[in-house]
Amino acid sequence: MKISHYLKDKIVFILLYIITSLIISAMLSVFKVNNEAIIGVNVTLFIFIIIYLIYDYLRKNKFYSKFLANLDHLDQKYLIIETLTKPTFYDGEILYDSLYEINKSMNEKVKEYRLNLNSFKDYIEMWIHEVKLPLSSINLMLHNKETLSIPKVSAQLKRLDDDVEQVLYYVRSENAEKDYLIKETNLNKIISNVAIQNKDILLEKNIELEVQNTNIDVLTDAKWLGFIINQIISNSIKYTRDNPVIKISSQDQKDKILLKIYDNGIGIPKRDLPKVFDKTFTGSNGRKITTSTGMGLYIAKKLCQKLGHQITINSKENEFTEVTIIFYKNDFLNIAK
Amino acid sequence: MKNILIIEDDLSIANELKDLLDNSGYHGLILQDFDNPLDEIVQIKPDLILLDINIPKINGELLLQKIRKQYTTPVIMVTSRNNEADEVLSMSYGADDYITKPYNPTILLLRINAIFKRMENKNDNLAYHDLKIIPQKGLIQKENTEVLLTKNEMIIFTYLLSKQGNIVTRDELMTDLWNNNEFINDNALTVNISRLRTKLKEIGYENAIETRKGQGYILL
Repeated sequence: MKISHYLKDKIVFILLYIITSLIISAMLSVFKVNNEAIIGVNVTLFIFIIIYLIYDYLRKNKFYSKFLANLDHLDQKYLIIETLTKPTFYDGEILYDSLYEINKSMNEKVKEYRLNLNSFKDYIEMWIHEVKLPLSSINLMLHNKETLSIPKVSAQLKRLDDDVEQVLYYVRSENAEKDYLIKETNLNKIISNVAIQNKDILLEKNIELEVQNTNIDVLTDAKWLGFIINQIISNSIKYTRDNPVIKISSQDQKDKILLKIYDNGIGIPKRDLPKVFDKTFTGSNGRKITTSTGMGLYIAKKLCQKLGHQITINSKENEFTEVTIIFYKNDFLNIAK
Repeated sequence: MKNILIIEDDLSIANELKDLLDNSGYHGLILQDFDNPLDEIVQIKPDLILLDINIPKINGELLLQKIRKQYTTPVIMVTSRNNEADEVLSMSYGADDYITKPYNPTILLLRINAIFKRMENKNDNLAYHDLKIIPQKGLIQKENTEVLLTKNEMIIFTYLLSKQGNIVTRDELMTDLWNNNEFINDNALTVNISRLRTKLKEIGYENAIETRKGQGYILL
């Protein structure tokens, strides 16, 4: 902190002082006070002003010089606040406290991003292992040409396709951007698309698919809802018992429409039920079956939240699992019609 | 034979698509000149265009707009962008259908078939030899007799009819049924086909549907 800069900053104060002392001198001489007294008053004033300026300069200089020097030397400038002691003057205190607050909030933000990035990295790593499974199994099938069968290859391709879709929707669910389009969509159309995607495996595993009352319009994004239903049905297909059945039905209620996806599979233990929508939660079922990243329902829930739907799950171990998606009706739209 | 123009810059996909179309009774052509796609379209005069959104030089949606300015040729947009907004945009530019990669080949064929069907019979009544088929009522009429078909039997029969003279695989029939929200299994398909045969026999077409072992069925 240069003294010239300091004085320049105080220029108004100094000018006011000079004017004041001139006015006082003039007034005193008008009242015929003798010159020695006038000089005495001026000298006293001058000394106090100088003492004040020196004192003020020294304490500010002590803080700001250290501040600037440290800032210059530091590699990570945001650590500056850690190297300083709290100043004793008011504007310095404001600066110090503000820096502290700004730093704190930025640290929180950085932490949030770091956590997000880490969980994304974890997911991608897990995901890469996941996609390598169908890849290597196709590779093996191609190598053992005798055992090469089209249904087997297409089942693996379907797995690969599902994995790729999942990472796409994971990114979309984490993204703050609004890249979906909500419009009136017929549930039948979405369900038959998902059913056809899973047709081969449903037929192969002899799973009965019953669809009832789904000729109904809901407000949603067709692609996103298709993904969500596919995740739920994939789980139903994964965790089957004897005589597997998947029932899809809808209920039209006063202010909402319920879409229920029921299966008579192995169900979910009661203790796991509250956690199935958590990130990377695999539960005891997931550990029984290797291909479980624990992300499907998490992403489904996030997408539902973005679309304004609600998703709930009900299950009894060794009996059934039922996932319900709730679409709220939009009164405004009905009036507009 | 119907000409279908494939506008796709990935050669391996384009060639596979051409094979798929050629094997399904169409004539597949691949666009070569991405600098002047319109000129080539004028020359080929395709009956249908499969248009990829991500093509070099010119964006697929832009090309679609240009095509629409001059022609009414049906266009199916093909894309790897899985996005509802893109779909709506393409449809508003005049695409007849929209399908996302990686698509199920049977579905693609179904969609193509549906577009041609829509163009050919504006009236819904179909005919097979001297039979009149009324899908909405589930009826097959012959002079003074008629038989009632169930929804599944009608879906199977109309699909076979639209491909009359060509072999139709069980998978195609199954996909068409599922596409119409009839999620039946293999056994049910077999049962439906044998019932359909019995009903056709009643009105004098005993061996109309032949089984081609290991391949599928054919309506003669």
